[in-house]
Amino acid sequence: MNIHEYQAKKILSHYGVKIPKGMIAYTPNEAKYAADKVSSRGPWMLKAQIQSGARNRGYFIEKEAGEEGGIRLIKSKRQIYENATQMLGSTLVTLQTGPSGKKVSRIYVEAFSKIESAFYIAVAVSRVAAELTLLVAKIYDGDVLKIALNNPDKILKERLSLSENIDTKQVERVMNFLGLKPRSFKHLRHLVNALRQAFLEKDASMIEINPVGVLKNGELIALDAKISFDDNALYRHQDIQSLRDDSEISEREIQANHYKFTYSEFEGSVGCIVNGDGLALAAMDLLKDKNIGTACFINVKGGVDKDKIASGIKIIMTNPRVEGILLNILGGFLRCDLIADGIVSAASEVGLNVPMVVRFEGTNQDRAKEILENSRLPIIWAETMEESIDKLAQALEEAA
Amino acid sequence: MSILVNKETKVLCQGITGTQASFHIQRSLDYGTKVVGGVTPGKGGSFHLNLPVFDTVKEAVKETGATASVMYVPAKAVKSAVKEAVEAELDLAVSIADGVPLKDMLEIKSILKGSKTKFIGPNTPGIITPGEARLGIFPENIHNPGHIGIVSRSSTLTYEAVLETKRAKEGQSTVIGLGDDVLIGMDFIDVLSAFQEDDKTKAVVMIGQLGGAFEEVAATWYKNISHKKPVIAFIAGDAIPFGHKMGYAGDIMTKGYISVQDKKDALSAAGIIVVNHINDIHYELAKLK
Repeated sequence: MNIHEYQAKKILSHYGVKIPKGMIAYTPNEAKYAADKVSSRGPWMLKAQIQSGARNRGYFIEKEAGEEGGIRLIKSKRQIYENATQMLGSTLVTLQTGPSGKKVSRIYVEAFSKIESAFYIAVAVSRVAAELTLLVAKIYDGDVLKIALNNPDKILKERLSLSENIDTKQVERVMNFLGLKPRSFKHLRHLVNALRQAFLEKDASMIEINPVGVLKNGELIALDAKISFDDNALYRHQDIQSLRDDSEISEREIQANHYKFTYSEFEGSVGCIVNGDGLALAAMDLLKDKNIGTACFINVKGGVDKDKIASGIKIIMTNPRVEGILLNILGGFLRCDLIADGIVSAASEVGLNVPMVVRFEGTNQDRAKEILENSRLPIIWAETMEESIDKLAQALEEAA
Repeated sequence: MSILVNKETKVLCQGITGTQASFHIQRSLDYGTKVVGGVTPGKGGSFHLNLPVFDTVKEAVKETGATASVMYVPAKAVKSAVKEAVEAELDLAVSIADGVPLKDMLEIKSILKGSKTKFIGPNTPGIITPGEARLGIFPENIHNPGHIGIVSRSSTLTYEAVLETKRAKEGQSTVIGLGDDVLIGMDFIDVLSAFQEDDKTKAVVMIGQLGGAFEEVAATWYKNISHKKPVIAFIAGDAIPFGHKMGYAGDIMTKGYISVQDKKDALSAAGIIVVNHINDIHYELAKLK
C-alpha cells in the first residue's frame, strides 16, 4: 500500500526527520490560508498529491490547468489561489500514471527551502541477500532510475542491521560518497537511523526520499517522501490502514481486493482470469509476442466460494477495455467446476459479449466442461496455454 | 534417488489439526509420505488422523525421529514455526502460507543463517518426490517418477512445467516450488546444486520470473561449475511494463533494474537453454534424449 507525500512526511517527522513546514489543501481558499500559515513571504511549493513519482515532469490533461507540472514553485502570494484552482480537480499525467493520469484532489502547500545541495536516499530490501539495505545517490532531482539503469556504481549500498543502528564507519562511507561537509555528519546518522526505525516499526517495504536537501548549516531536510507499506503486515497497523486513499485505485481493484484476489490493470485489450500470478505473466508474454496487450488480469488463487469467483469474473467481464477473455486454470485443488459455475453466473448477470477462450486443467475439469457446454455460452476450448493464446488471437482477428 | 525428501523421510506436520492441514496430510499419507506426527500447541497427547500430536517440535522430534516438517500454519505464525523447526535442528522445513510479512521473512532469514535447517517457501506448493513423498499442496495426480528435476519461483507455472515433462514423455525426480514472495528460503543455487549431486536427475527445468536477481546469481554459479547437467529455463514477466506495481520497488535500486531479457541473457551466457515460451520446454527436453 502506498500513501501520499504529505502523509509520509508526517510519519517520518515523528521519527525526527526534518521536513519543510507544510499544510494540505482541498480547495483554493484552503491553499491561500495554508500559504499564510507556512510562510509569511514565500516562496512556496504547491505539490499535487497523487501517488506517483516524477510529478514535476508530468503534465495536466486539462488546458485550463496551465503548462506547468504537478510541482510548482510560487513566488507571489497572488499566484497561490490561481495555481491551486488550476491544479485541483485536474488530471496529472506522469511517467508512472499511464496516459489516463490521476485526478488531483488535494495539494500540499509547503514553505520553499533554500538548499546548498541534494541527494537521494532510500531503505529497501535486497532480495538475494535478504537484508535491509540503505541506498544513496548523489543527484539533484535527476532521474534516479536512469542512473540505476546505466550506472549502478553511482549508487552506494550499505547493509542495515535489523537490531542495531548504523555504525560510524558506514556513516563515514556515505559522507565521503556524497561529499558532504563534516557538519552534516550527525544529521546524516540521525536521518539513517530514523529511516531504519520507521521501516521496521511500520512494516514498510520501501522508504524513499528524493531528494534530501542539505541546508547551509549542515542540517538535512526531506523535500519529498515516499513510503510503501507491506500489505501482508497491514493487519498490525490500524493507523496506516486508515491512510488508504481509495481514489488512487480503480473501483475494480477495490472489489477484487475485497475478495482477496489479486487484480492488475494495463493498457491492452485482453482480460485474463487465472489462478496464479505466474500463469498471468506467462500468458501476457505470449500475448505480447502476438502484439496483443493485456487489459487486466485477476488471480482467483485457490478460491472455493463460487459466488466470490463469479464476482471476480464479473470484474473482468465488465471492464470496458476488455475485447477478449482468456481463462487459464491449472492444477492444484481449485475445482474447475466452481470456476465454470462462476462463469455461467457472471455471464447471466452481465452478459458475455466478447470471445472467451477457456483452458481447464485440474480437479473436476470434465464436469466443468459439461457445465459450460450446457450453458450454451460461446466458449472456445483450448488444451494448452499456447493453444489458448492462438485461439484467442484468431477470435480477436475475426471479431475486428 | 531424489533430493531433500524420499520415501524414508520422516515428516512432521506443524499445525496439523487445521482444516487445510488435515485435508493435505491425509492426501500425503495416501500418497505414501512417511508422516510420523504433528504439532499443535495445547493439543499434545492427542491423536489426529491416527498420528500422535505434540505440543512442541522438539518433543515431536524426540519421540518420532522426524527430520522434516511441513507447516500449514497461518502467515502470522510462520516466523515462530520456523524458529521452532530450527531449534529442533530439523533438516528441512516447508511453509506454504501466503502473506508472510516482509519483516518476518527478514528475521526468518537471519534465524536460518548458520543453522542446519533448509527452508522452502513461503507461498509455495511445496516439494514432491513423485511416488515417494509429498510435502505441501501439490496435485499429486499430474506427477510421475522420472529423471527431470523441476525448480520454480512461480507456483502455478510449476504445474505447467510438470505437464511439459509429461508431454516429453518424462517424469520428475523431485519438484520444488521456491515460492512467489519477495524473500524466499532456498533459492535456485541451493536446489540446482542438490540436483547436480543427485544421480537420478538427468536434467533440470527452472522457472524464473521478473523481480529480484535470483536468476542472475544462479547463472553465475552455473557458469563456474564443472560437469554441468543440462538446465532448461523459462522466465515469465516480459510483458510487464517497467515500474508496474508487480515489480518490487526495491529492485530498481538494489542492483539496477533487471529486465526479463537481462535474466535470459545471463542464463544463456552461462550455458543454460532458455526458452521463450513455456510450452517450448517439452521440445527442448525431447532434444536431450
